[in-house]
Amino acid sequence: MKKILLETEGLSKSFSTGGTLQHVLKNIDLKLYEGDFTVIMGASGAGKSTLLYALSGMDTPTLGIIRFGEEMISDYSSDRLAVFRRDSCGFVFQQIYLIDGMSVMDNVLAAGLLVNRDKKALVQRARELFQAVDIPERDWKKFPAQLSGGEAQRVGIVRALINSPRILFADEPTGALNSKTGLDVLDTLSRFNEQGQSVVMVTHDMRSARRGNRILYLKDGSILGECDLGRYVSGDRARHERLSSFLEEMGW
Amino acid sequence: MRKSLLIAAANLRRAKGQTIAIIALILLASAMLNLGLMLTHDYKRNFDRCHDRLHDGHVTLAIDGRGEELLDFLTRTLEEDGDVTEFSCEDALSMVGSFAYNGGEVNTEFVILEKETALSRPVGRMEIVEEGAGKSGIYLPMLYGADGKISVGDTMDISIGNHVMQYQVCGFLNSAMAGSHNCSMSALLLTADKYEELEESGYAPASTLVSVRIRDKEQSEDFEAALKNKVSAAYPTSRLLSNSYELVSTSRYISQMICSSVVNAMAFFVALIAMVVISSNVINYIQENMKNLGAMKAIGYKSGQIVAGLLVQFLGVAVATAAAGIGLSYCLFPSVNRMMIAQTGIPYEMRFQPLLCVMTFAACGGFVALAVWLSSRRIRKIEPIVALRQGVLTHSFKRNHVELEGTRAPLQLALALKTCLSGMKQNVTVGITMLMLSLVVVFSVLMVENVIVDMTPFINLIVGETAEACINVNPGAEAALLQAAEEEVCVEKIYLYSSTEVCHVGGSALIATMAEDFSQVNNQDVCYQGRFPQYDNEVAIGAKYAKEQGLKIGDEIALTVEGKEVDYLICGLTQISNNLGKDCLLTREGFERMGAFNDMSYYINLVPGADNKAFRERMEERLGSDLNMTVDIASVIEGSAGIYVSLMAAIVVGILVLGVSVIAFVLYLLVRLSIGSRKRDYGILKALGFTTGQLVLQTAASFLPAVLLSTAVGIAVSAVIINPVVALFLGGIGIVKCTFTVPLGWTILSGAGLVLTAFGLACLLSLRIRKIAPVVLLAGE
Repeated sequence: MKKILLETEGLSKSFSTGGTLQHVLKNIDLKLYEGDFTVIMGASGAGKSTLLYALSGMDTPTLGIIRFGEEMISDYSSDRLAVFRRDSCGFVFQQIYLIDGMSVMDNVLAAGLLVNRDKKALVQRARELFQAVDIPERDWKKFPAQLSGGEAQRVGIVRALINSPRILFADEPTGALNSKTGLDVLDTLSRFNEQGQSVVMVTHDMRSARRGNRILYLKDGSILGECDLGRYVSGDRARHERLSSFLEEMGW
Repeated sequence: MRKSLLIAAANLRRAKGQTIAIIALILLASAMLNLGLMLTHDYKRNFDRCHDRLHDGHVTLAIDGRGEELLDFLTRTLEEDGDVTEFSCEDALSMVGSFAYNGGEVNTEFVILEKETALSRPVGRMEIVEEGAGKSGIYLPMLYGADGKISVGDTMDISIGNHVMQYQVCGFLNSAMAGSHNCSMSALLLTADKYEELEESGYAPASTLVSVRIRDKEQSEDFEAALKNKVSAAYPTSRLLSNSYELVSTSRYISQMICSSVVNAMAFFVALIAMVVISSNVINYIQENMKNLGAMKAIGYKSGQIVAGLLVQFLGVAVATAAAGIGLSYCLFPSVNRMMIAQTGIPYEMRFQPLLCVMTFAACGGFVALAVWLSSRRIRKIEPIVALRQGVLTHSFKRNHVELEGTRAPLQLALALKTCLSGMKQNVTVGITMLMLSLVVVFSVLMVENVIVDMTPFINLIVGETAEACINVNPGAEAALLQAAEEEVCVEKIYLYSSTEVCHVGGSALIATMAEDFSQVNNQDVCYQGRFPQYDNEVAIGAKYAKEQGLKIGDEIALTVEGKEVDYLICGLTQISNNLGKDCLLTREGFERMGAFNDMSYYINLVPGADNKAFRERMEERLGSDLNMTVDIASVIEGSAGIYVSLMAAIVVGILVLGVSVIAFVLYLLVRLSIGSRKRDYGILKALGFTTGQLVLQTAASFLPAVLLSTAVGIAVSAVIINPVVALFLGGIGIVKCTFTVPLGWTILSGAGLVLTAFGLACLLSLRIRKIAPVVLLAGE
């Protein structure tokens, strides 16, 4: 029996644009489970990123509740949400978003020191994570602008994982990368998921979506369907076909 | 040009907040500048206008005595002098007197004239500026009615010598050369009946008042000295009172001099800060808009057109704001004018000054154009393709300041330090602002301590020697006075301290102050270089006068009284502002080498708690007619120096308000620029879990190192230079070296207050960060 990590009930989000109310998320009931690699797919404008931001406490819903364990995070103030994000979440962004003025190591430690006061242990964990994502020591003191896109995104993953988050959110993590470096990033995410890290990833790329064990398909702000692919195994054609037929069924 | 205007309009629309803050700074700078220019250039000219309107003399002389012989002598002397163009001689009464004023008393040489005579003098006419229904009484200089402390219809007691007269105030008069206690003589007008009554009483000696107009008013001091020499040679026993255009035009405008110096200095500071802020704004604009600038160049805009756009933008703002600032200065001027009329005693009618407005526009425009031009030169180096690719990095990441792995500083502080160290332009702007404001704070603390809270240091500097009481006796009554003083238990110390006029041969008339022994005088700081005279061939002279005449310690000068010239060796330099620096100190024996010494004024220190009035009354009773006058010096000082205290209090409040406003505007701009340029970073940090409070503190703390360092340096440097700066402000009245105490504790506390104010304001202004939501940043990409 999987343990529920995050749960929504009647989650809705609306934006007012040019005096018109646009309903981006409509009454979504959703459960995310510990250890899963959940992939949210859908066409552009389906509300994938909006759902990710709401789930991760980056944004507040217009209606409905979001429960993280026993905590009702949808009621939180912006500062409590900030504390929730630092304690429980890690983020990997499409545009990477490392801070230009800080070295690679400082980008990671700035996030880590917010939660962990044991600097020695924190630095040790950062080193292990860097090694795990194949960022050599000579790069740790470089600035983000001095890294390739793939390297920078892997640093982004290290930053996201430095506080051992309960859940890692990734918004199109390969969107700004070429196929080779994108593959490296996906391998890294898969590897951490295999080690027990819960991952929620938004993508519109089928190759990326294959990494998930659970696929949610969003259309016009509602979850149209979901598919359980089971654990990722490289080169599993049956798994790939199952995903293809699911997406075809969803109108992809 | 049209393209430049389009660029300017687009920039202004994009940066409304920055534009508003820059407008505020230019508004303050232009208002202060125009106010300073009005005070410096036109306010003092008002004296000339008043002097011309009243057709007043350039030298005024009051001689004890009347009669045909004296009149003939004066007429002959003046008519024979080729420099004299016109003169007028009238009967008057002159005597030292006093009356209660401003919580103390005015004690000065009064020249009393019959009203109608005074109003119809061919030279030196006086005018009535306010008059009541009373037909019998006195008219006072309008200075005493300016602040409403004495009103028309009041009844007042005036001491004339040792006699108290009671008069009803019928009105107020205006006189250029005798309208204030700062003129060496102060005019009082009596209605015909009261004049006759006083004349008959014999309380005030009959005298002749002479007003002389000369060809070159700049030579008035020399002419005054020469004329006095001639008169005293012919009438050696007659008491003479005199003043000159040069002396009066300066001494009546001491408040104008102080006020205009402070306002001009503040205007310069604010303009400099505005210049730094505009430069920082332009540099930031270039960094923020690198891609846009590249695009503009790519579609054919020349560098010159882009720079011209910035120039048009800032110059447009500067000129429009300077116009508003000039308007503001005209709104502020009546308050400043009211404050100063209480010292100048001459009404000033505000009028539009086109030339000064042009100067203000030119100065503001010049400052702004220079700032924009210097900071926008970088635009010429931008290659369009490089800029379009953002190849010109907006930041130079040469060094990773404060590595988090190695630092012991807490995270928030470490991140604040990172921001601080990577923003040197911000630090320079903050540094310059805080350095200027530290000087303002130290000046304010100095004035509060030495002028407002305890006036003694200010009085010692301006007045020179002070004591509790002064008694003037006839030359033969000295022994009786000293005997009587010795028998008084309340007398702590009594010493001769008496002044009279001497002439420097080849120079000007000087006020010579005599003492038996200068080691007895209370204010040993009067002689600030060299030493007091000890021997009869020594003299200490005013430093300002010495500088003007090229004299130094060790030189010999010839002084003369009653036609006898004696050489003296300069042994010290003094600073006494009573005669605007034209003073000298002599021992009694030294003076007596020139002639008999007739004016016997003794200064007296009383034991603490002694009743000054009762003591003087006992002395008057005991010495009878041998005593000419007693003065409660403290009361006189309170009466005449009160105006300076009020003026200084107003200046201190004004510059502190201005200082806080300037910090607020500068920080507003810097915080806005900082938040604007780091918006992405703030979004990322918020996404990572930093709270708004943490980011606000981080941002405010990033200003702290520059604020702390520049304030500490500013306070330390200001504490050292503030006395010379004040001396510079007061140089016009003969002050060369200022020795005000800089209260260390209060200065440090004020510095801390300045830092806390800056930090508090930075926190407050950084609250804009709460509007940055991580989701907006992410969605925006």
